[in-house]
Amino acid sequence: MLAIETIGLTKYYNRGKIKALQDFSLQVDTGKIFSLLGPNGAGKTTLIKALIGIIQPTRGNAMILGQSFQDYKVHKKIGYLAENHRFPDFLTARQVLYYYGKMSGVAGADLSVQIPGLLKKVNLQDWMDTKIRKYSKGMMQRMGLAHALINNPDLLFLDEPTDGIDPVGRREIRDLLKELRNEGKTIFLNSHLLSEVERVSDEIAIMKQGKLLQKGQLEDFLSVKEQYQLQLKGDSTLIDQTFKSANISADFNVNLFTIKVQDHQELNILIDALREQSIDILAVIPKKISLEDFFIEVLDENEVKPA
Amino acid sequence: MAIVQLTFRESLAKKTFMGFLAISTFICLLFIFALNLDIVDGAQSSISLFGLEAPELVELNKIILGVEAGVAILLFTGGIFMSLFATSNLIPALLQPGFIDLFISKPVSRTEIIAGRFIGSLAIVAFNIFYLIVFTFLIMSLKTGIWNWGFLLAGLMILITFSALFALMTLLGVISGSGPFSLMLTYLILFFSPLLLQRDQIYALLNARIYGYILDGLYYLLPKTAELGKITEELVRGIGVYNWMPIWSAVLFGIMTFILSTYIFHQKDF
Repeated sequence: MLAIETIGLTKYYNRGKIKALQDFSLQVDTGKIFSLLGPNGAGKTTLIKALIGIIQPTRGNAMILGQSFQDYKVHKKIGYLAENHRFPDFLTARQVLYYYGKMSGVAGADLSVQIPGLLKKVNLQDWMDTKIRKYSKGMMQRMGLAHALINNPDLLFLDEPTDGIDPVGRREIRDLLKELRNEGKTIFLNSHLLSEVERVSDEIAIMKQGKLLQKGQLEDFLSVKEQYQLQLKGDSTLIDQTFKSANISADFNVNLFTIKVQDHQELNILIDALREQSIDILAVIPKKISLEDFFIEVLDENEVKPA
Repeated sequence: MAIVQLTFRESLAKKTFMGFLAISTFICLLFIFALNLDIVDGAQSSISLFGLEAPELVELNKIILGVEAGVAILLFTGGIFMSLFATSNLIPALLQPGFIDLFISKPVSRTEIIAGRFIGSLAIVAFNIFYLIVFTFLIMSLKTGIWNWGFLLAGLMILITFSALFALMTLLGVISGSGPFSLMLTYLILFFSPLLLQRDQIYALLNARIYGYILDGLYYLLPKTAELGKITEELVRGIGVYNWMPIWSAVLFGIMTFILSTYIFHQKDF
């Protein structure tokens, strides 16, 4: 069973003049952290809202955890952190989780037990009985995250979960997301913070103007095929000669040699040659690009040039 | 149920509920302490209000019915006016971005969301109305020994009238997202109703028949608040309902308007 499957999901506004989603088809496996990236106005939030039923798609279909997305009962298994979520500010954190937990179908007795633990998870245990109108933006985000977890969902939709949170808090949230993923939950994440996405995601998709551009494992996108960085210790002349004799060119930057080989076999031959010359190999690192570089590269490739 | 409870909490937080309760309690206290009735041999021998004695002795029954009818009319007009004002923003507030998203993300249908809000609002108003009606009834009945059960029916009539008007306000709130706009239009209906009742006299001023048909259409479509008020007073005075049409048409109007609100709410994007 897939966590999310969309089939030709389309959303137009203003009689078709604004194409927020265009035949968007996507599959997300369960038990992963999946991140959806895109520039402003790409349709990321529109997609989440369409899946949850906050907006009505123009056409297309979708399944969430094997059930039709139009069946509101599937919401028993999902949690949602909206980008600009708002709670009644006259309530305390405990009361917010109580009322919204009841709406999620959680029994009152279970809520009394769960709420303190949940607030502790997001580091709001000391503010449990304070009215949320006194909360900072970062605290409101944590509150939103706790709310999204109140019904112990199988699938979490998080729209900009680390927005307004300090670096320490962001790390805590990353750790929490990984913990949830390890428990078997699926996390569908929208975020502009590519550095955060890079640290936490298993799979990503990139969209622009309502269309899916790329989708796949993060690791595969960021690895530059057959390029490696070598950290070596030894006579520099000997090192140069070894590269030349192996017919491999190397760029030296800081204390790393960057090489490009045809395949693993060529790499192993080079390593053997270096070892024969008693050159110490301190590290062999597959070359990666940053997610930001990859993201911009994909957007540039798909740039629609004016006629 | 959680949505109903949340609506109650919101009303408490906005002090509207407490304001209502305070006014109702004040009126009850007025009847307890300011109204004095001396009964001798089953007949009223003197009556005073704030220590001022009435100049004539009149039949006790008529006084009690009069006072209760007065309270009922006061509640009908003033109470409905204030109740609409106090609840005018409850539906638009529900539809705020970021707020409604979280409701829709729950395993509750859109019908349950809007119905929960509607019922919560009705419950707040009903509590306040019946708080005043029941306590006034008990105070007056215990003081005088006259138990006028028709007075309790006034509460029901006021609630029916409020429900019909609140259903309209819900529809306008769902369409416009504006509390003040929906309140203004609902007040217009509330105060336009007595004019529609006198439409026979207006016909003579109209220069085309079509306007007459429009007035007739509006009369039959909209809640007949003037007549409902009259029925309320007559119920309290023990006369009974002379014409059921205003009641069932108000109920029908409320139901149809609420169904329309629900339909529009279902179609909306947030």
